[in-house]
Amino acid sequence: MKPNSNPLLRFARLFTVFALLAAPLAALPSEGGAANPKTVDQDVQALKKQLIDLNRDLFKLEEELLYPASTQVAVFLSVDVGTFFALDSVTLKVDDKEVANYLYTEREVQALHRGGVQKLYLGNLKAGTHEIVAFFTGKGPHDRDYRRGTTLKVDKTVGARYVELRISDRAASLQPEFIVRQWE
Amino acid sequence: MAATIGVPAFAAPPALDSIAPDFALKGIDGRNLRLSEYRGEPVVLHFWASWCGPCRESVAALDALARRSGTPVLGVNLDGADRAAAVAGSLHLTTPTLVDAQQSVARTYDVAKLPLTLLLDAEGHVRASWSGVPADLSELTPQLERVRQY
Repeated sequence: MKPNSNPLLRFARLFTVFALLAAPLAALPSEGGAANPKTVDQDVQALKKQLIDLNRDLFKLEEELLYPASTQVAVFLSVDVGTFFALDSVTLKVDDKEVANYLYTEREVQALHRGGVQKLYLGNLKAGTHEIVAFFTGKGPHDRDYRRGTTLKVDKTVGARYVELRISDRAASLQPEFIVRQWE
Repeated sequence: MAATIGVPAFAAPPALDSIAPDFALKGIDGRNLRLSEYRGEPVVLHFWASWCGPCRESVAALDALARRSGTPVLGVNLDGADRAAAVAGSLHLTTPTLVDAQQSVARTYDVAKLPLTLLLDAEGHVRASWSGVPADLSELTPQLERVRQY
């Protein structure tokens, strides 16, 4: 299910946006009254801030409803140095089912190199043991095509489970290293 | 004149004013391109295949338009990397040629007839489309100007 496909949440969002947009109309000066442009501008800015805050809260609520902590599993990807590996794509499988296949553009790779962390997958898994497999493709040392897989057994308990896939450099062997870590 | 591909007959490309679905594909030069990275400027998206006669004419005309106007034109080829590269080379294309050999993007866009040309505005909305016929440059050019000024 797509995060924004819940009709109830969409309605709640729309309703709140309309309510917020309608609120300042009620506060408009009556006919003949002059509105202070500075005050109007401040009101608009405050309204924008409220809207952003509200959108953030609704997004969090939506995520909590669609992916409750009891079943939530999220997979993140980060790159640390990465001089021995130029990332091209990542394919992610959970219990042998492909759940994500991501092709990286130059800008996205640069963003990862600058410290960005990508949420590659967010989904629900029942409590128990699950297998997460990630396949990385790209250019390895000496500009050669490189494909590497890494597997992780995840014991899903009642709390949300976060998995970090990290591409790093193993300087000793001049090879890339793919590290998988779990967070609770 | 139009070439049809294996999608249901009721399929239709994205409606006018709808947001063009985002995608990332590998180009024949090996670089990956994502449509949403072109947000902020109008883009012409063009689906074509080597076996589609009118496509060659269309792709060459759009490439010339890109050189003339500086508008990004993204060609999405439905053959395969080798075939796409051969045709792009023979036509001396300068615009990015992306390869959708699995036709996953073509399915997302419900491409039933080739060529399919979409004019997207700076926010990614479809502003004009030509399906099954080469884009008419006498229509496309003024629409592009309007989209730029919007």
